[in-house]
Amino acid sequence: MEYIITTEDVTRAINRGRANEIWPVRGVTIDIPPGAITIIKGPSGSGKTTLLSLIGCMSRPTSGRITVRGRDVAKLPERFLNEIRRNTFGFIFQQFNLIQGISVEENIMLPLYPAGTPYRDIKRRCLTLMERLGLMERRKFRAQGLSGGEQQRVAIARALINNPDIILADEPTAHLDTRLSSELVEILKDLRREGRTIVIATHDPLIYGGDFVDGIIEMRDGRVIDR
Amino acid sequence: MRRHLNILEFALSSLWRRKFKNMGLVIVFALIVFVLSSILLLTHAFKREAVLILKGAPELIVQRIKAGRHDFIATDYMRAIEQMPGVGRVIPRYWGYYYDPSTRGNYTVIALYDGLTSSLDMLEGDFPAVGSRGTCAIGRGVADARVTGIGGRIPLLGEDGRLYQFTVTGIFRAESAIVTNDLIVLTPEDFREVFMMPGGSATDIVVEVYNPAEVANVARKIKERFPDTRPITRKEILRTYDTLFDWRSGLILTMFGGAVLAFVILAWDKATGLSAEERREIGILKAIGWETADIMELKFWEGFVIASLSFLSGLAAGYVHIFFFGASLFSPALKGWSVIYPEFHLMPTVNPYQISVLLFLTVIPYMAATIVPSWKAAITDPDVIMRG
Repeated sequence: MEYIITTEDVTRAINRGRANEIWPVRGVTIDIPPGAITIIKGPSGSGKTTLLSLIGCMSRPTSGRITVRGRDVAKLPERFLNEIRRNTFGFIFQQFNLIQGISVEENIMLPLYPAGTPYRDIKRRCLTLMERLGLMERRKFRAQGLSGGEQQRVAIARALINNPDIILADEPTAHLDTRLSSELVEILKDLRREGRTIVIATHDPLIYGGDFVDGIIEMRDGRVIDR
Repeated sequence: MRRHLNILEFALSSLWRRKFKNMGLVIVFALIVFVLSSILLLTHAFKREAVLILKGAPELIVQRIKAGRHDFIATDYMRAIEQMPGVGRVIPRYWGYYYDPSTRGNYTVIALYDGLTSSLDMLEGDFPAVGSRGTCAIGRGVADARVTGIGGRIPLLGEDGRLYQFTVTGIFRAESAIVTNDLIVLTPEDFREVFMMPGGSATDIVVEVYNPAEVANVARKIKERFPDTRPITRKEILRTYDTLFDWRSGLILTMFGGAVLAFVILAWDKATGLSAEERREIGILKAIGWETADIMELKFWEGFVIASLSFLSGLAAGYVHIFFFGASLFSPALKGWSVIYPEFHLMPTVNPYQISVLLFLTVIPYMAATIVPSWKAAITDPDVIMRG
């Protein structure tokens, strides 16, 4: 089977060589199939978020190999790494990470500003996504004026504006109640139907226990303990 | 191009988002530029006035010194000076000051001599005719202060206690407002009468030297021949003006040193770190696909807009302050005794070199202070920034 993402013996050190050195990821080898929903499961501090940021090209491994669509990204210069991040991945963060003080619309369009996409096209894509995620009435609202569920939907719309093949979600239900979590699951299922690959780091049983999940990778203390 | 426009648009939106903080920054920054530019513009304008005054001034003037003070010089000295090699014409000058209590102005009264008229630009009428009595020409400032014109009368209280009336025959202006404003030109005969000048004496002597390179030599020879004289070259006067105004601008700079220091602290504060919110935003932008160069461009535009807005408004305010409001905030320190002159406006003038210096002293450090910490944040992996 052709995997869309693979890691081979990946480790990641933070503050290396200092007294506060930590190794959140140690020797992780995983394969993620395309068009599937894969869960990275584990308790807090197990290294899920770090692994997600490594495969999403947001940080580099200290050692090991990471391939995205067969291309080794671990040692790519920053410019190429950014290009892959911008064109391939959409991120949904635990804290939503919306920029305060600007409108919903502007938050969603933000990833495409430096891409040189004509403003008209950015706007059109943004309107389509807001329509799809039920955000039209909130388009001029500022991010801080939205409910948790609405902020989550804005974060999803922002993750989709560049039409990515892979969606990475870090604890996406951490700030949502059961109803909103179920809504999110429906959105993720829709995205999978479109052929997108979804990787979710979570310790929420509502997510990793769902029947829509195609694969689970379980982590503890920076290592994979079950796949 | 679209990319740049998109980033610029977001930079403007970011600035607007923090409008109160940024407005405070612009006000402080503009205030500093205002103070510094006012000092530079005023000093430069004064120096320029001095150059303009001296442009028409003689290369060499000889004064007599008595007990260390300027005294009348005997016209007999002229014959001996005339015979020195390299010396052309030697002309006596009569001039003095006259305080007019009615307008509270201090005027310079000078008798007509060859060479004076060429530096003055007659607006109306003419200078008093040679040998005529009871006539005068006045600078525009005097005309304005006394609310008079051609045919009007200027009363001067003579040193003998008599009131002399002079009919205005001409109004002139000069390139220098200082010269234009306080000058009254009489004939030598009238001057001597009003000020009771003893016969055979003059206020000072103008010496024409054929070769400008020989001025210093001629001055030395005059000093050797007449030890009680003080030859003054044009260069010396100019140097004195320069030193005087440089010293005075230094004085003002010291006075405003506190404000400059506050700005340096502000810039330093910006340089040493970003707020947690700004770091988080940079992390978010990187995480959603912005490159370090994109973030640098964003921060460059932000810094550029603030710095240029502050610089231009500070400079414009400084210009208006100096050339339209007569440098009212600190002119007493820079003008010194000239406050008793009739009011005058400086000629608007801007020295590109000084503006560049000001630009380099304010805008460049600010831009660096804005960009460097952002660059440091932007080259870090976005996940490190976002984790805090």
